[in-house]
Amino acid sequence: MLLHAYKLSLIVMAPKPQRIRHLAGATWQSAMKKARTMSTETETESSSMKDAFSKYADYLNNLNDKRERVVKASRDITMNSKKVIFQVHRISKHNKEEVLDKAVKDMAAVTDQYVSRLVKELQGTDFWKLRRAYSPGVQEYVEAATFCNFCKTGTLLTLDEINAAFLPLSDPSVEPLQINILDYILGLADLTGELMRLAIGRISEGELDFAEKICSFVREIYRKLTLIAPEMDDPSDMKQKMETMLQSVMKIENACFSVHVRGSEYIPMLGSADPSYPLLGMPDVD
Amino acid sequence: MILAFRNTCTVFSHYVLNPKPYFPLLLISTQNFSVPNSTLTSSSPSLCNKARCCSTFFTNSMAAGDLSNPSSEKLEKQFEDFRHHLEESGNLRERIRVVATEIESVTRHIYASLLLVHQSRPVAEVLEKAKSQIGELKELYSRLSEIVRECPGQYFRYHGDWKSETQIVVSLLAFMHWLETGTLVLHNEVEEKLGLTPTEFGLDVEDYLIGICFMSNELPRYVVNQVTAGDYDCPRKVLKFLTDLHAAFRMLNLRNDFLRKKFDGMKYDLRKVEEVFYDVKIRGLAANGDSAGEKQVQGQS
Repeated sequence: MLLHAYKLSLIVMAPKPQRIRHLAGATWQSAMKKARTMSTETETESSSMKDAFSKYADYLNNLNDKRERVVKASRDITMNSKKVIFQVHRISKHNKEEVLDKAVKDMAAVTDQYVSRLVKELQGTDFWKLRRAYSPGVQEYVEAATFCNFCKTGTLLTLDEINAAFLPLSDPSVEPLQINILDYILGLADLTGELMRLAIGRISEGELDFAEKICSFVREIYRKLTLIAPEMDDPSDMKQKMETMLQSVMKIENACFSVHVRGSEYIPMLGSADPSYPLLGMPDVD
Repeated sequence: MILAFRNTCTVFSHYVLNPKPYFPLLLISTQNFSVPNSTLTSSSPSLCNKARCCSTFFTNSMAAGDLSNPSSEKLEKQFEDFRHHLEESGNLRERIRVVATEIESVTRHIYASLLLVHQSRPVAEVLEKAKSQIGELKELYSRLSEIVRECPGQYFRYHGDWKSETQIVVSLLAFMHWLETGTLVLHNEVEEKLGLTPTEFGLDVEDYLIGICFMSNELPRYVVNQVTAGDYDCPRKVLKFLTDLHAAFRMLNLRNDFLRKKFDGMKYDLRKVEEVFYDVKIRGLAANGDSAGEKQVQGQS
């Protein structure tokens, strides 16, 4: 419709009016007719184009469906990994074992239920092609798994350890899904933010030693990643994460610093519920 | 400040830093505290711990343990491996980029040769020149596939580095093919022309389709110039081709991505060609070619 209107306006503006005169309305119809007869002329040619494009359509449909399923699986992993992280944050001085045991159990459930679905959807292929579809979920998973493991053992869960847990999920006939270095590193970068929250929480409950342990752990990660960051596939993304990470490290350090410098003032207020806290016995520690 | 710190960190090997990791940390904490003597306290946790060792011996053992226990060696190794791996993939990427740049420069030459069709040079002559350059492309793609073969299964990790160049290549090959035969070059035909093997280093279907969209952008200009040069039958042929192509593209279910955007642009090419066709038609310029065509059709039926 729009095209017609446009064409009409062209007629009006046409520079050679004498030509238009012998242009009867019939021209249009014959043009249309021509278009129709033309298509019979080259039927075979355009049908081969159609055949080819129906192949491309199948390819795109399959790929997009698969991508959609992978995105869904990834989103479920993200959601449930977040739940594990929240579970770990419920930690307090007295229920450590209990809380962490549940977190570890939940983590195993995430692996068994949701990661295995991702593995199934990927069918052992397109690991790099669809990486962007599942990368967020995997990063969150790495974050939750390392977070959980740190609280439990005080060490960093390595990529090999995570990947070893992924192996049994895959069908042995296909190539197993293994987390790539990039997603692992990006997950670690996010871990710092959670550790920062944990450290602040611990300090406010008076668990200074735990907070300091977190502090040195986070520093160590930051230091390790400093060397790696510029080598990443997407350095700009990583650069931003590094800056956030540094903020987290400094927040922990500042918190530790405050408690350290003014420790004697804080403790009676915060640690009063726990008279056994060692600092209480020696207020003149500085 | 942060940048400066980062540079220091990369310049010094981390082995140097390792035994005393407090050097860079000192730098960080200074930016946050204005009182100079607080820097020392906050940036050296080992000192703090020692001061309090009788009360919190547990902390002390943990903090010290981080640097000396076996798990930290494992960590050290893990990150060393990561760095190694990433450096290697960085090198690979650089080599890919070198080839991609060369592909880009060859496509520029081919494009320049092809541009002569707008200056009403005979198609055959233009094609001959452009075709002679396809060999170079073929060679570059075989180099590219050799590099990518070094990291099996990671084709799509580096795909972004040659994607746009390949799309241009497809558009040029498709344009040449169309000039020669008046038909659309198919995906497997492009692979053949470039000497690609789908199992090893194939042509991504999306790249192919985007390349075809690029080619369609070239057609309105071609039509305009052909008509100016007196070829009044050209708009009819192009319009027919483009209408079919557009119809074929409408069979695809696209996502909201680059291909979708390019496909959406194709209708403007179609409209432009329709306009040219109309302009020629309305003035009866196409009469000669048309009546010939009509006779032919009548003869057939």
